[in-house]
Amino acid sequence: MAKQKITSSSTAEYFSKNLQQVGFSSPTKAVLTTLKEAIDNSLDACEEAGILPELVVEIEKAGAGTLKNTDLVRIYVEDNGPGLEVEEVSAVFGEYLASSKFGRGRCSRGQQGIGISAATTWAQLTSAKGVRVVTKTAKMRQAVTGVVEVDIKHNKGVIKDKKTIQWTKPHGVSVEFYIDGRIQLNGEGGLMTYLLGTTLVNPHLTLKYTVPEQKAQKVERVSDICPSIPDATTPHPHTMKLGEFIAHSHLFGRIAVSAWLKKGFSRITDHVIGEIIKNGVSKKVLEQSVDKTADADFKALFSAIHKTELMAPSTRSVMTIGEAAFSKSVRRLGEVDFFSVLTRKPTICDYKPVAVEVAIARLKSGTAKIAGETDDSPATILRFANRVPLQFDKAACAMVRAIETVNWRTYGLAQPKDSLPQGPYVIAVSLVSPFIKFKNASKETVDASDELVEEMRRTLIQAGQRLSRHIRKESKEADLEEKLRHIEQFCPILVDCLCRITKAPDSRKKKATEGIIKLLGRDVNAAKRDLKEANTAVKDAVSKGKVHVVNTDDVLKETEEEIESGSDDVEGDDAKVKASGKGKKAAAKPAKKKAEKKQATTKEKRVTA
Amino acid sequence: MKEETVPQLSKKLCNILLTDLENARRPVLEAIKCSLDNAKYSPSVGYLTPGSKRVRTELNVSSVQKMSRAIFLLEIFLRNLETGAVNTKREIYYISKGETKHNPSLKPLDFADQDESDSVIDFICEMLECYREELNCFANDRGGQTYSNQLEVTETMPDGEKAVVDLGSLGTSPFQPKNRPQSLQLRAKKKIDFCLVVESEGTANTFVANGFCKRNNCILMGAQGVPSNAVRGWCKLIQDQLKIPIYFFGDLDAYTMQNIYRTLKAGSAASLIRNSDFSAPDVKFLGVLPSDIKKYDLNDYPVKENDLQEARALKKASDALKNDPFFKDKKNKGVTKILHWLLENKRRCEQQALFTVDPRDPTMPEKIILEKIKAGDYV
Repeated sequence: MAKQKITSSSTAEYFSKNLQQVGFSSPTKAVLTTLKEAIDNSLDACEEAGILPELVVEIEKAGAGTLKNTDLVRIYVEDNGPGLEVEEVSAVFGEYLASSKFGRGRCSRGQQGIGISAATTWAQLTSAKGVRVVTKTAKMRQAVTGVVEVDIKHNKGVIKDKKTIQWTKPHGVSVEFYIDGRIQLNGEGGLMTYLLGTTLVNPHLTLKYTVPEQKAQKVERVSDICPSIPDATTPHPHTMKLGEFIAHSHLFGRIAVSAWLKKGFSRITDHVIGEIIKNGVSKKVLEQSVDKTADADFKALFSAIHKTELMAPSTRSVMTIGEAAFSKSVRRLGEVDFFSVLTRKPTICDYKPVAVEVAIARLKSGTAKIAGETDDSPATILRFANRVPLQFDKAACAMVRAIETVNWRTYGLAQPKDSLPQGPYVIAVSLVSPFIKFKNASKETVDASDELVEEMRRTLIQAGQRLSRHIRKESKEADLEEKLRHIEQFCPILVDCLCRITKAPDSRKKKATEGIIKLLGRDVNAAKRDLKEANTAVKDAVSKGKVHVVNTDDVLKETEEEIESGSDDVEGDDAKVKASGKGKKAAAKPAKKKAEKKQATTKEKRVTA
Repeated sequence: MKEETVPQLSKKLCNILLTDLENARRPVLEAIKCSLDNAKYSPSVGYLTPGSKRVRTELNVSSVQKMSRAIFLLEIFLRNLETGAVNTKREIYYISKGETKHNPSLKPLDFADQDESDSVIDFICEMLECYREELNCFANDRGGQTYSNQLEVTETMPDGEKAVVDLGSLGTSPFQPKNRPQSLQLRAKKKIDFCLVVESEGTANTFVANGFCKRNNCILMGAQGVPSNAVRGWCKLIQDQLKIPIYFFGDLDAYTMQNIYRTLKAGSAASLIRNSDFSAPDVKFLGVLPSDIKKYDLNDYPVKENDLQEARALKKASDALKNDPFFKDKKNKGVTKILHWLLENKRRCEQQALFTVDPRDPTMPEKIILEKIKAGDYV
């Protein structure tokens, strides 16, 4: 066999040939991924600097693309973040694995420093032009602009056409990509779904956006609190492999092994050191310097630590959106009927700290901003990992698995077996963790480990239970409505038919009519009592902030008034019907319809904890 | 129950309902529960009879729609009985639609589809414990085409006139029994030896064309699958009035045993209240028997378990062995044994397989049938 020359390639070369691995597998995904990476970077930068983000997004067709069936798409994202120093620009946009966040163990959106460089590469490959960046920090009098390209051979960013310009913004960064792609607005992988999802999990974000075929929109922030990303905690030894363990020791120079363990890891205390000794590690090893420790000793130490029971890792590094802010954000999904949100306490899954938050909202039919919410279509699922929407390959995702394993029928939602629930509902699941296990580099699917699915399932169940109180109330309302309708419709027919068959005189007919109304009125009163109980349950849940209902005060007050007025006997109601001769509608009009009417005319008001 | 009592009974029932309503008392309608869990079987009776379970329908806001619909349809039936008009279930469905169309106040009663009106008709029958034929509501006369050179049938018409039909004078045309066979009177012009009920209508026609009725003093009937009320009542009539042995000849499979033969012999769970008039307990299962497959080297084949219909039949047969009082009774152990054989072997053999014995002799199936009758080779 002829000897072949072994060559090495740069990281940029690898990614430029495998862009499909990082979200550029189709023209549609290319547009979404580019936008996503730009927004992620902007939001992370704003949050790092404690600035409430205000983003401007513009997406438009700028001509024909060079690839088959594509357009040349302009993607522009501008933020009010701290801005980048000029010397950082080329590395951030043109160099793979150049990141301020790599391996830091924090819940930031970006982690490795691949995404935005991949977007630059895609722009370069398809439109022969990199990304135009404008940056201005608070210290700079003028902004600096230039086109950043990736030197693929050497994995380096190169700035071309650099110049200073006037920019009215005090600080910030803007990026402008021209790429080959296809714009898909709606549906699971649509830009609108992405933008809506981004505003949902970022209540502190103000977003101005322009997309084709729609007027420019501005979504105002609903929270003035800029989330601060908690600092990373020291690693937990049980989450490490032997090689990592040894490499970790090199960061500490000349230090005794026991001191290194206590300083360099979480959950190692003097008591734990004692336990490690009991598990077969000699005191001598623990007292010697780490730089003089042989690999065999490291291996023995590593095994002993794994045999030792340790406290679970700390969950302090995990951040959440919070129920209050999430509740406000849910209102931006469309015309929401009612919803529940739930933030679980951070916990440990697969030795990693995680926090799961869930929002379930029922939208008024046809008012949702996202597609697919009819009564028999599956509920819309919004998935988020570290507050970034996930839009592809949902079937294998831990979040979808968890949703499918919940029995939603218990909470009043329709659900085919082992499937997603149906109806005009939006179920948003947000997972936050410094170590999310994605199934692929393009971060589209979260690996479905049993522990993680179970944690999500519990969160969903709790949120479902909260929501069910309102659904139950609705079903009681519908029940009462049907009963009233049945009395109104069928009683006269039944009595008439019986009288015709038996040839009974009018006197009997009158008496029987009175009798049947009285008789069935008892059933209606029972239904009214049920509804009253359901209303009380909802009111209770609302006051505790467990379920949120649009116009709650008005709805509850009104339905209660109706129940009170007719709670003793239905005879009174019917007497009114008979007397007026045209008042059937009034007698049978359900509380729900009145409430709906009221809802439509009154300004939305939310009652929350 | 006699036909003329239905209007009286209906009026009585309506009067009770009206009196209850006048007194603001909750009326309750009771009907026999027509399901397998309320079916009893006694070999001395010979057919499935109802147990003590009853279905109670109490008037409340949920049942007021059903009750209103029942009384509404009952009024239509009573009108039909008064004028002598008859209808099918489908026609009743359209008549009710017409009523609601012309009288807007009846609109809430409107049936969305025929299934809805059918279930109300069944409810009325269970409530009054009568057959729907007694409400002048007839099904299509399906199956039961009968051939005989010895049989004479006298039909009493609704107006009291009598019509006499000599089956021997019909040539190759069959006699079609009616859904209300109680109005027929049978007479054998000559001694009739047996009655053969063939599951397949086509095979029965073939037998006739090949001269079966010429060579045998018999009655030959095609059942056309699951026996209709007409076929069941007709067999009962032949059994009771002519007192001749009746043999059933059909496929050897779970569906035939359970749905066709059991219904013919002992009635069905859905018709518990009328099995006395619509079952012929003396019918014997002539074949195809499992032993015939070996004896005559018949072509059988495995049941396709992935076929939904076949799998359902097997499942039903397995349930029947556990729950059906007919199959659980010792007297029917021969039939039960066959059902066990079918479940174990998962094979089936069709009645037409008899034609494989001697493909060049069209009368070979007849010869085998006669041989089996003569040898008492049936269960």
